[in-house]
Amino acid sequence: MRSFEDIKSEWNKQIVPEIPSGGADRIANKIRKIKIKQRIAYIVLSLTLVILLIFFFHVSAYRSTTTMIALFLMMAPLLVRIVLEVCSIRALKQLNVVLQTQDFKKGMLRYYIRRRWVHFLITPLAFGIYTIGFTMLLPGFKTTFSKGFYLYIIISSIVSLSALALLIVVQIIKEQDTLRSLKDSKT
Amino acid sequence: MIWNGCWAKFHNNSHKIIEELEFQFETIYQENYQKVIRLCLGYVNGHQALAEDLAQEVFLKVWQHLPNFRKEAHISTWIYRITVNTCLLELRKKKFNKGQEVLDNVTSDTDGEPLDHEERMRKMYNCINKLSKENRSIILLELEGIPQKEIAAITGVSHEAIRVRVHRIKNNLTKCVQHEVI
Repeated sequence: MRSFEDIKSEWNKQIVPEIPSGGADRIANKIRKIKIKQRIAYIVLSLTLVILLIFFFHVSAYRSTTTMIALFLMMAPLLVRIVLEVCSIRALKQLNVVLQTQDFKKGMLRYYIRRRWVHFLITPLAFGIYTIGFTMLLPGFKTTFSKGFYLYIIISSIVSLSALALLIVVQIIKEQDTLRSLKDSKT
Repeated sequence: MIWNGCWAKFHNNSHKIIEELEFQFETIYQENYQKVIRLCLGYVNGHQALAEDLAQEVFLKVWQHLPNFRKEAHISTWIYRITVNTCLLELRKKKFNKGQEVLDNVTSDTDGEPLDHEERMRKMYNCINKLSKENRSIILLELEGIPQKEIAAITGVSHEAIRVRVHRIKNNLTKCVQHEVI
């Protein structure tokens, strides 16, 4: 291949997959499935909230101020983070792909810059508040449960909180890479 | 009675609108699938399964935005805009990095032998893959024979800037293809 024309002619010779039969119908079906999945996600989130509220009243958390504050400190950041995540996913899906690429990329850049606030301020804050709430519950657990089960709660919570922290860090690194590549390709 | 009549009319009208949209979508799909998949192949180094996944995402967006298509832009410009933007958006996902593996797995056993079409394509994809995402979009559109004025309308870069950039990318790509050892 000596010139660009050679490259272009080679490009035109490439084997292109055939148009899938019933492809358009498959797309319409996928859209229906996406809508069903969205509904399921909202139902699951609402159910989680209902279960948390039922648990709150079931253990009569309102009788003890410490337990009430502790559960509130655990539930509130969780709820805020879930709502933010749902809004974020919606915002990403609503990026207007019909725009000219330059404007679309600006939209993507704005999205990732907004996500930085979530990652570097809200997430650590939510994580910290959640941990404080959980720690406040520990003296109650110690008196209520057996020594073995109390130890299990401590160890399993350290493991799951560490795993969650790692997951969040990995996600932040990934999104920061995307942001960097978007900034680098700016003209 | 009046309510029933209104409801039946509304139901018939919406049914008719959906049918028209489905017909319009089917036509767009048949007429543009090959154009879309060729462009997608360029973003994933010729990995067919990944390109098919990308094309499916593109047509999902086409379906979602079809009711708002105002015919201010030419349909092909509109489709290409959706294709380029969707590919940029989807390429962030890990599964689309597999396209890179296709190139990484290529062995260097050509030893001066004339290259066959497949090897020449790999070489070309490797060079395209070295470009920035934006330059990749521009050269893929150029390879597809899209007029530079339309490339400008798709990317939002001025016609003059596209002309200069296409010239520069063409030179770089040609040099890369000539000297690239796979």
